[in-house]
Amino acid sequence: MEYLLHLFILISICAILGISLNLILGYTGLLSITHAAFYGIGAYATAVMMVTHSFPFFPSLLAGLVLSGIFALGIGSILSRFSGDYFALGSFGFNIIVSSLFINLQGLTGGPLGISGIDRPSFFGFVFSDRLAFLALAIFFVVMIYLLSQWIVRSSFGRTLKAIREDEKVVQVFGYKTLHYKLAIFVIGAMMASVAGALFASYSSYIDPSTFDLTGSIFVLAVIVLGGLANTKGAVFGAIFLVLLPEIFRFVGFPSALAAELRQVAYGLTLVLLMLYRPQGFIGAYKF
Amino acid sequence: MIPQLILNSLIAASIYSLVALGFNLIYSTTKFFNLSHGVVGLIGGYVTFYFTKTLGLEIIPSVIVGILAAGLCGYFLDKLVFRKLRNKHASDMVFLIASLGLMTALQAGLAIVFTNQFKLFSIETKTIHFFGLMITYVHIMTLVVTVIVTAGLISLLKKTRFGKMVRAIGDDVEVSTIVGIDTNKILSRVFFIGSAIAGVSGILSGLDVGLGPNMGLSLLLKGVIASIIGGVGNVYGGILGALLLAFIENIGAWQISGEWKDLFSFGLLIVFLLFRPQGILRK
Amino acid sequence: MSHLEIKNFSKQFDGIKAVDHVSFSFESGKITGIIGPNGSGKSTLINLLTGVVQSDSGVMIPQYNQTTLSITRTFQEVRILEQMTVIDNILIVLTKRSVWVSIFETQKEQHFKNAKKVLEKVGLWEKRNELAANLSYGQRKLLEIARAVAMDATVYFFDEPFAGLFPEMRKIVTSLLQELKKKDKIIVLVEHNMELIRELSDVCLVMDSGKVLAHGSPEKVLLQTEVIETYLGK
Repeated sequence: MEYLLHLFILISICAILGISLNLILGYTGLLSITHAAFYGIGAYATAVMMVTHSFPFFPSLLAGLVLSGIFALGIGSILSRFSGDYFALGSFGFNIIVSSLFINLQGLTGGPLGISGIDRPSFFGFVFSDRLAFLALAIFFVVMIYLLSQWIVRSSFGRTLKAIREDEKVVQVFGYKTLHYKLAIFVIGAMMASVAGALFASYSSYIDPSTFDLTGSIFVLAVIVLGGLANTKGAVFGAIFLVLLPEIFRFVGFPSALAAELRQVAYGLTLVLLMLYRPQGFIGAYKF
Repeated sequence: MIPQLILNSLIAASIYSLVALGFNLIYSTTKFFNLSHGVVGLIGGYVTFYFTKTLGLEIIPSVIVGILAAGLCGYFLDKLVFRKLRNKHASDMVFLIASLGLMTALQAGLAIVFTNQFKLFSIETKTIHFFGLMITYVHIMTLVVTVIVTAGLISLLKKTRFGKMVRAIGDDVEVSTIVGIDTNKILSRVFFIGSAIAGVSGILSGLDVGLGPNMGLSLLLKGVIASIIGGVGNVYGGILGALLLAFIENIGAWQISGEWKDLFSFGLLIVFLLFRPQGILRK
Repeated sequence: MSHLEIKNFSKQFDGIKAVDHVSFSFESGKITGIIGPNGSGKSTLINLLTGVVQSDSGVMIPQYNQTTLSITRTFQEVRILEQMTVIDNILIVLTKRSVWVSIFETQKEQHFKNAKKVLEKVGLWEKRNELAANLSYGQRKLLEIARAVAMDATVYFFDEPFAGLFPEMRKIVTSLLQELKKKDKIIVLVEHNMELIRELSDVCLVMDSGKVLAHGSPEKVLLQTEVIETYLGK
């Protein structure tokens, strides 16, 4: 039962990552291969605030939100001038840089050894120390982010994002400054990812750079492509599937290092097979 | 200090330009950024390592096997994945994501077969001193091989019928098909050649500093940055870009610290994307 | 706005002068037709004027920006938003062009009404929730024209809007153009078909090899053109 709760918590965190990347990629058409970087910024900000400065969870989460927003604003304003390939490559490079920052800024981040001893969240005396309570908290955030995502998608702002995905040039011709829209959704998505990071840091009590590198970004990509781009439910479905699938490896009894690499092979092959045979993913709302 | 810096930069630039060469060749014909390029090159390095260190074969045949392995790997990736996507007229994003998936799967595959441990397989580590500079045999080989391969590729593209067809496809795929060029066959060969060249860079890099599954990524990144700042799709641009990248990196490492090398490379990319996204040379 | 003046617009592609120092004054309340053989630069000129392609030189008076001069257009190759609904394709040109305002949209009903009006005129209201990708060619063209017309702009550029349309659909487009004329808009119509230009335009421009060969009333200009064409045996 504890194990099930553990899985559901991981799925929730994953769902937040998927929903937020979907806003950027599925709805706006920006291939961002750096989502794990913002996940990491949220996680590290929370960890540092809570462990080094003894701040409680929620203010630390807020700090993570602001920090990832600032980073997203910075790199986003450069990348938003581009589309397609260059956006993807630039974001790819950014993830690598942020990863190397996590590893090299040893004084702040603890380097490759990471940060441990991150507490569970506390709220006016109540501590979310057992799994069930934490799951409730995680689900609360998932629901909030899900609703926010739906609101964005159904608004005029969301319509413009989709239009940018369809034909950015036409949208520009009709008087839109598409750069602003792309930047806005990139920042929003990044901030949502940092929420997932904060939750992860507090849940697992220990973080290290390896979770937040390129392979992490590719994992989130696989989640939403599998579920089906441009569909919020698809992101949730993809999260469920890709978190549960590798557990099969564990049951069959592979040693955990091997299991980790096998998982990577699985994610990579999933992407390739999807591109070859069903790019619209499971829900199939958007063909690209 | 400066002359050594220049020499080190030239050596690094050689590796980067080899990666960029193959990358640009593939990009100029297929018009997509093949993110699996780096790991395919790394496969060349690992295969060479396996043949020479584990199987005990002589170094030269091992290198040949390694280069062939990389080339074949690229050839099969094209046949099994990219060609199918071309036939479906898939969008750029589909190609990118597919190559990303291949990169991930292959890299993890290497880690499974060869473990994550760093592998050293230098054949000759002696350092030579001349005019106050230090250089190893591997470094000399790197410079020589790069010049040979680059010259070879450029003459292949300029002087042979194959080269002409490659350039025709690069200009306009549809017209080339109409004119009777078997584009799929030519592209298979392009992938083979480009990947084989990447294999050379993987082998040289491995001989110099050793092999780790993550190196495919750093090779790719350097190759991509060199290509973009030099002018994507332009063979000469890749060389210029590689030189510039290597110099900036080494100056940065000298002045600040080696750990921040990646930051300098990325910073250079950002500067170009901001002020000259088309690169130094146009196509 | 009484007219839109363009001065000295040029664009070269790889040494070929697609548009060669074109200057003209488009008047409001009139349909200005642009005609010319394939490759004469008609579409390129429109692309330069609407910001699709960066011009090498050229000045527009007044300058294009959303507050003083707004432009709307259709494309020769029909660029509708495929994976979005018909009504979304119209609404996209109606909403305010600002990130903040569009997040907190207040004029939903008004936009909806305007979209309904224009979609009804082109007969696409019943299909409003269909994906644009599922429409027939004629319907796609009508959608694009409806999109252009839905916007209350100053200048309207139509690039071969009649191509591939059945006669009933052509009547709809013609009546839309006439409505725009009555509203005193500046209307530019690029067409291949001389009959349509003769019938619809008040002023006519003939282009060839990037230059303006002749301009004036349709009868006068087209007579000239026919003579030139017969002479050159095009």
